[in-house]
Amino acid sequence: MYEEPYRWVEAVGNRRQYLDEQFKQGSPVVALSYDGGILLTTVSKGTPKLYEIYDRLALGGMGHPTDLEKLRFSLLEMAHVEGFNRSPSDVTGSRLVKYGIAPVIKQAFEEVYKAPLIVRILVAELGQKPEKDALLTINYDGTFEETMGRAVLAATPAVQTKMMSYLKEQQAAPLSLEQALDLALRAWAIGSLAHQQDEADQQAEAKPQPNNAGSSAAAIPSSDTLIAHLRGIAGERTIECAILERQAPGSSKYRSLKQVDLSRLLPAALQSVVAD
Amino acid sequence: MGMQGDFYQLLKEQGYTFGIPTTVETGHTLTNATTILAFKYRDGVLVAGDRRATAGNMVMYDRTDKVLEIDRHSVMAIAGVPATAYEMVRVLDHSFKYYRRTQLQELSFDGKLRAVSKLLKENVPAALAGTGAVVPVFAGYDMEQGSAKIYFYDILGAEFEAVEYAVSGSGSPTIRGILHYLNTWGEQPLSVLPEEQAMVQALRLLTSAAEFDSATGGVNREASLYPVIKLITGAGVQTVPDVTMKPLYESQVVRYV
Repeated sequence: MYEEPYRWVEAVGNRRQYLDEQFKQGSPVVALSYDGGILLTTVSKGTPKLYEIYDRLALGGMGHPTDLEKLRFSLLEMAHVEGFNRSPSDVTGSRLVKYGIAPVIKQAFEEVYKAPLIVRILVAELGQKPEKDALLTINYDGTFEETMGRAVLAATPAVQTKMMSYLKEQQAAPLSLEQALDLALRAWAIGSLAHQQDEADQQAEAKPQPNNAGSSAAAIPSSDTLIAHLRGIAGERTIECAILERQAPGSSKYRSLKQVDLSRLLPAALQSVVAD
Repeated sequence: MGMQGDFYQLLKEQGYTFGIPTTVETGHTLTNATTILAFKYRDGVLVAGDRRATAGNMVMYDRTDKVLEIDRHSVMAIAGVPATAYEMVRVLDHSFKYYRRTQLQELSFDGKLRAVSKLLKENVPAALAGTGAVVPVFAGYDMEQGSAKIYFYDILGAEFEAVEYAVSGSGSPTIRGILHYLNTWGEQPLSVLPEEQAMVQALRLLTSAAEFDSATGGVNREASLYPVIKLITGAGVQTVPDVTMKPLYESQVVRYV
């Protein structure tokens, strides 16, 4: 029945709706440059969402764990084969994304007979010099975007914009790792609160609401609200952080931050979160 | 089958072959011969190698690095045909990284040893044909057991654990005896030597090897050429810089007669 063009467009539209629905419960991912490299942060429940891909490449994801694993493996495979056959410096995030996984994601999205991949992906690449650092995000339909300095994954474009503009506004000077972690977690909390708000709005939509102006676009919550939200959520979830460290010894620059590192780096208001 | 985290298998699926046997034409002399040594000292294991590469009586190169870091906790020192040895190190380096990144855990020390011996077995035809014989010494720090370990291999891939020390290469017969003597009747056994003393012994041993083996390069002070010494402890692999070796060599190795 999808042979007719109209039906196909309709089917793709349905897919978007279905996929948008899948990310509502997801945890946002924030990537931020700091003075010594790139920081990736999220708050995960059960399965980790940040991974090492290659010497200078890291991955953050949202979506279904199995789909994420599948793409993680193909990234690892491509990166290592390329690094072995050519050289580690020929393994670049932009090639892996543009010619590697983005076409796969797009194809899965448009083959309406099969299940799509439920993923949003962020690839962080540490350049030899800070100005060569790159952050790539790929949406579930295969569209990708390359940015510098900051990137986020969130459930909806509105939430993404909100998080990005917060980061842009706060990230004026180069940040230390502590400052970057603090800012990234705040941005994460903005995204997470916006997800909750969207969910609540949707449930309220059944009843007629006098003032229904899409709350996820509303004002940024105060700093205290953000911290309180993080503290509230950190009980059942874990703050996950990874860095690509330019000065790290050896060829592998990826390091995931452990509890001890976090308790040293986290802002005072959040210290208690990792203590237990 | 990508879920196994086996990078070598992945390479083979892509058509890669390791260790193709080729017969040596007469008149060609391959680069080989060297001296490498590894022994346990107080804090971990020391691995050292001279820097000369020879082909017959020709010195090919005087700045070879034969002690190669495979990852943060293991080192492979090579004696034999460099082309094969470097390729082995490349395969191993990527295999261990690939395993760690896919499986989200470090490959065990035993797993690493298996990988070395597997590659050597694949290389047997080339080794026997005369173009690819490699006799490595693999040393590392086993994080699970918290101890330093040394293994040595024959060209067929048999693996032997060295209790205190291991040597390989053309200069090794000379220093094998010295190591035995030092360890048995020396002032103190090698395993209790502090870092600095361990480095001094390594420099003396390589200098002795160079004395009796023309294929082993000793220390060349005019060219500021010192051997490669790496120390592996629980904190990882550390390369000893020339500035550290220079005073040790001048004060404790050179004898002005």
